[in-house]
Amino acid sequence: MEVKITEQDKTLVAQLAGRLDTAVSQEVSAQLQPLVDNADRTLILDCKDLEYISSSGLRIFLTIRKAAAAKGGKVIVKDISTEIRQVFMMTGFLNLFEVVSSAE
Amino acid sequence: MNNLDPHCQAILEEYRQAKPACDDAAVKVKATLEKVFKKSGLIVAAIESRVKTEESLAGKLELKGSKYASLADITDIVGVRVITFYIDDVDKVASAVERLFKVDWENSVDKRKIHEIDSFGYMSLHYICSMDGFPYRFEIQMRTVLQHAWANMNHDTGYKSGVEIPLEYRRSLSRLSGLLELADEQFSEIRADLADYRRRIQALVASGNLSEVPLDGDSFRSFLNTRPFDPLNRRIASMNQAEIQEVSLMGYLEVFKMLQCKTLGDIAKIIKDNSEGAFQLACYQIGLTDLDIISSSLGPQDLCIAYIVKVGGGKAGLKMLLDIINGVSDTNVMMAEILFEQTSNLPFMNQ
Repeated sequence: MEVKITEQDKTLVAQLAGRLDTAVSQEVSAQLQPLVDNADRTLILDCKDLEYISSSGLRIFLTIRKAAAAKGGKVIVKDISTEIRQVFMMTGFLNLFEVVSSAE
Repeated sequence: MNNLDPHCQAILEEYRQAKPACDDAAVKVKATLEKVFKKSGLIVAAIESRVKTEESLAGKLELKGSKYASLADITDIVGVRVITFYIDDVDKVASAVERLFKVDWENSVDKRKIHEIDSFGYMSLHYICSMDGFPYRFEIQMRTVLQHAWANMNHDTGYKSGVEIPLEYRRSLSRLSGLLELADEQFSEIRADLADYRRRIQALVASGNLSEVPLDGDSFRSFLNTRPFDPLNRRIASMNQAEIQEVSLMGYLEVFKMLQCKTLGDIAKIIKDNSEGAFQLACYQIGLTDLDIISSSLGPQDLCIAYIVKVGGGKAGLKMLLDIINGVSDTNVMMAEILFEQTSNLPFMNQ
């Protein structure tokens, strides 16, 4: 699982690649801490290369969403695969996030 | 300023000495009011504060300096203005001011009451106040947004007093004041009526007479307070011993309106008739996964999916649902197709 954070203007973009499962969730959570710390900004979770997400991964997304809600920021989930979109849908998480596709 | 006599010059010098204390007092009065309003839940449009400028004071002294023995006789060196949305709130603000500061009743004016019964004009409540630790009096003006608008526009005519305005225009301004007074009263009445409506709706929801309650923002909020989707969410969560993440469900008001629900009774019927279908859908989707977190929107979401497919709304109906709850997107077409396939083959469709 790889996490790369870049800054574009004032937006923080986290590129997630690989499988976000329980085994790596603690490490990923720590790597994404800058997003929580800067949750007053627009935060983009770029999931183009994210292959899988478990409940632990959903919890990390949720933590970032809560921080953004508290600090007045915004979370955008970008380019999720059909499989991950279905995970979001079947847990009721899809409508919690602004989910965008770069193709649209 | 050069025209001022020595007496007025002395008052002006006293002002210069007192200016820092006046600045502090203006900030303090404003902050005190803000704190009390916040604590009591009173929402006002604005609180403004200012200290009279030296130029403005000099102008005042030039006109009527002999009237004042010292700076302490001038009551508006520090001025604070509270602008409320509703006319009833002016009295609430006044009540708070009376508790917080010492009011000099002799010099305070209720300009809302100085008009004859058949005349209209400047409407504002002015209190001259004092407080411990500040040797001068200060003025607090209280008025509504509409009274404020009228006062500002009247002031903007360039005439220093109403009597200077040509009669024809004075009549127009007076007429406008009457109109705004009526609007202020109407706004207050609407607010009181809406509060009554909400209480009535809450009572109907609490008594369970849901078919008598029209569906709107207030009634839906009251309905959500009874937690109507909890049994379904708990049943779904129990499959995987999942944690339920609470989220606002107010967005579903638009969904239930799209589904032609006119009353809360219509929603209650959808819940009663489709909970089994929603549960079967959730079983199919997450029963064989290790997902142990769901959002509280899952219950209403699956309920609406089950209902739409059951009543023949098809993929187009599901697409409309997804457009509302997830935002309009091309991918909703694909998701609607997947959901339709998943739901159409569930046992509840044949029951």
